[in-house]
Amino acid sequence: MTKKIHIRPEKAVKTALVYLLVLIVSFLFAFPCIWLVLSAFNAEGDLLTLEGFFPQEYSFDTFRRLFTETNKYTYWRWFGNTFFVAAVSCIISTFLVIAVAYTISRYRFKSRKAMMKATLILGIFPNFMNMTALFVIMTQLHLINNLWGLILLYSSGATMGFLVQKGFFDTIPGTIYDAATLDGASDFRVFISITLPLSKPMIVYTALTSFVWPWADFMLPSMLLVDKSSWTVAVGLNSLDDSEFSIFAAGSMFVAVPIIALYVALSKYLIQGGSAGAVKE
Amino acid sequence: MEAVQNASKKSAFSDYRVRLSCIFMGLGQLFCRQFIKGALLMLLEIGFILFLVFAGVENIIGLFTLGTTEGVPIMGIEGDNSVSMLAWGITTVVLVLLFALAYYANIKDVVYTVGEIEKGNRVKNFFESCQTLLNKKFYFLTLTLPLVFVCIFNVMPIVFTALVAFTDYGGEIVPPKLVSWTGFQSFRVIFTMSEYIGTMGKILAWNVLWAVGSTFLVYFGGLGLALLYNAKCLKWKRFWRVFPMFAYAIPSFITLTGFYFMFCDSGPIVGLLKDWGWVKENFTIISYDSKWSLRLLGFFCCAWVGVPSVMFLATGILSNASKDMYEAARLDGANAFQQFRYLTLPFVLFATTPVIISTFINQFNNFSIFYFLRPETVYAPGYFNANSSDLLINWMYNLTVENRLYSLGSALSLILFAFMALFSLVAYVTSPAYKKEDTYR
Repeated sequence: MTKKIHIRPEKAVKTALVYLLVLIVSFLFAFPCIWLVLSAFNAEGDLLTLEGFFPQEYSFDTFRRLFTETNKYTYWRWFGNTFFVAAVSCIISTFLVIAVAYTISRYRFKSRKAMMKATLILGIFPNFMNMTALFVIMTQLHLINNLWGLILLYSSGATMGFLVQKGFFDTIPGTIYDAATLDGASDFRVFISITLPLSKPMIVYTALTSFVWPWADFMLPSMLLVDKSSWTVAVGLNSLDDSEFSIFAAGSMFVAVPIIALYVALSKYLIQGGSAGAVKE
Repeated sequence: MEAVQNASKKSAFSDYRVRLSCIFMGLGQLFCRQFIKGALLMLLEIGFILFLVFAGVENIIGLFTLGTTEGVPIMGIEGDNSVSMLAWGITTVVLVLLFALAYYANIKDVVYTVGEIEKGNRVKNFFESCQTLLNKKFYFLTLTLPLVFVCIFNVMPIVFTALVAFTDYGGEIVPPKLVSWTGFQSFRVIFTMSEYIGTMGKILAWNVLWAVGSTFLVYFGGLGLALLYNAKCLKWKRFWRVFPMFAYAIPSFITLTGFYFMFCDSGPIVGLLKDWGWVKENFTIISYDSKWSLRLLGFFCCAWVGVPSVMFLATGILSNASKDMYEAARLDGANAFQQFRYLTLPFVLFATTPVIISTFINQFNNFSIFYFLRPETVYAPGYFNANSSDLLINWMYNLTVENRLYSLGSALSLILFAFMALFSLVAYVTSPAYKKEDTYR
């Protein structure tokens, strides 16, 4: 094959189209974020003081109020609670989800299909209907106002979502396993030294989603955390008045930062292919 | 062959050790010289009997009576709490079932061991049994803990809710008042009162439309974006992917509240449209009687929130597609469109069928979107305790949390659950991912 030196016009049009689309998409995603960030620097708190989309005057006053008026906003407390719940749930859920998904994908045992169907049926049940029952159960277990209660709920809830990870494990070629088993590796060894390294992208995805859910959830904390000292950021920010719009915007900014940082640190795993080239037939 | 198996089964149960294990867990194992395992099993049974004596029997009786003495807080009389009795009753029944399962496993185990002894094989010691667990029954090890979790926090509440549908819990009747079993009373109320049926029909129709529309939007939006960002001619891919990542990273309660502020009457969008004279003075997007404007806004917000996560998943799956496949296709002269149509699309559809299903279910039960987009609770005319943009789950919330109609809400959710379960089971069982699990191995 010989390389063509000049650019073909159809290719140029295609490239231009791709860039145009990417620019539009980027704007659609970026604009609301920029709007929220700028609103946080609004000198006056109210939504009505915006001129068009943007504040008339910028200042750091909102942030000062958010961190110093501790009788109104115990922001760092909320933030710490949220971080604790999200981090611990993330570790437990990732472990459980990967183990369950791998097991269901790789092994053939009696109740396997029944378990998959049961998971599906359980998942359909409207979450909210369980809430009255959950509240009663958590009260009986003395887990109201207790962050560990939330962690347990998130971990078991995340486990129910294993079908996505199972779909991923299904795409790992079975020949890899057969080769390892022939070499005399135990099932546990196979899981640790073959499956895990191959599925880094999926593990990162799992860890991210199981971190984001508790981090961003509003319903469960608002139901189970009654005490102001055990509140998470979601409950705290939602208790704010409509006139405190810029406080809300400022508080929101700090909630998005850890996840963005995590993503930037881990992004290459999300995209990286795992099994390409591992088996040559 | 079958006769031989039957004979060995018969002889297994005539063995004294098997009979001993049938009488008391672990006894037979002791006589097979498996001391640690036998002792552990016996401890389990003793613990279970103690539990039954001290709490279990009482709990099961409580499940049937739901309390006999009514408490009067003013006079300091502490009565029975029907709701907690219901919860503990269910727990006890589950524990009894689990114990029955363990008992069955114990008999199966001793039958196996006795068989090994008769064959003249050496009996495994405790350490070796653990080794077997790690190797041959790896699935048992990984699934036990999650199963227990799911039973307590996912199955229990559903059973509880299902049972509440057959009681009169709710309205005036909440503890310390005694709750009682009323059979199909709640279902009768739902099917005889026209306001329930009418509201259910309208909300269900909108809910189905919403779920189908938003799933379509989110799934193909995500897939399209993943392909767009995968395009060869696009430079700085990592940079461009940062923008959808923002949407992914920001918790949806912030996004949705933010969008509410942006589109509400005092927000910038309505204000600017009025300033430019594009709309009339009384134009609103979010108000107590707005229907389609709010529904469309819901679709927009849902896409904004949901597309990035599907996009990242699809990107991961695309990168997992075998490179050899594409090479072969290119050598055979397939063009880009053909590669997409015959390689990428089937592969992605195969790998993401669970994503489609879970997206559909999540959207069907999307509580937060219209909870945050219409913050004030106003009920529309023609609807019973609901508004025109409310999904079923919002309606349930109104019924149970705002108005405390627990048994009616539970009965409604049971009806809808039957409907949904049937639908998604059929969808899943007929999907390619279920039928041909091993296609891409």
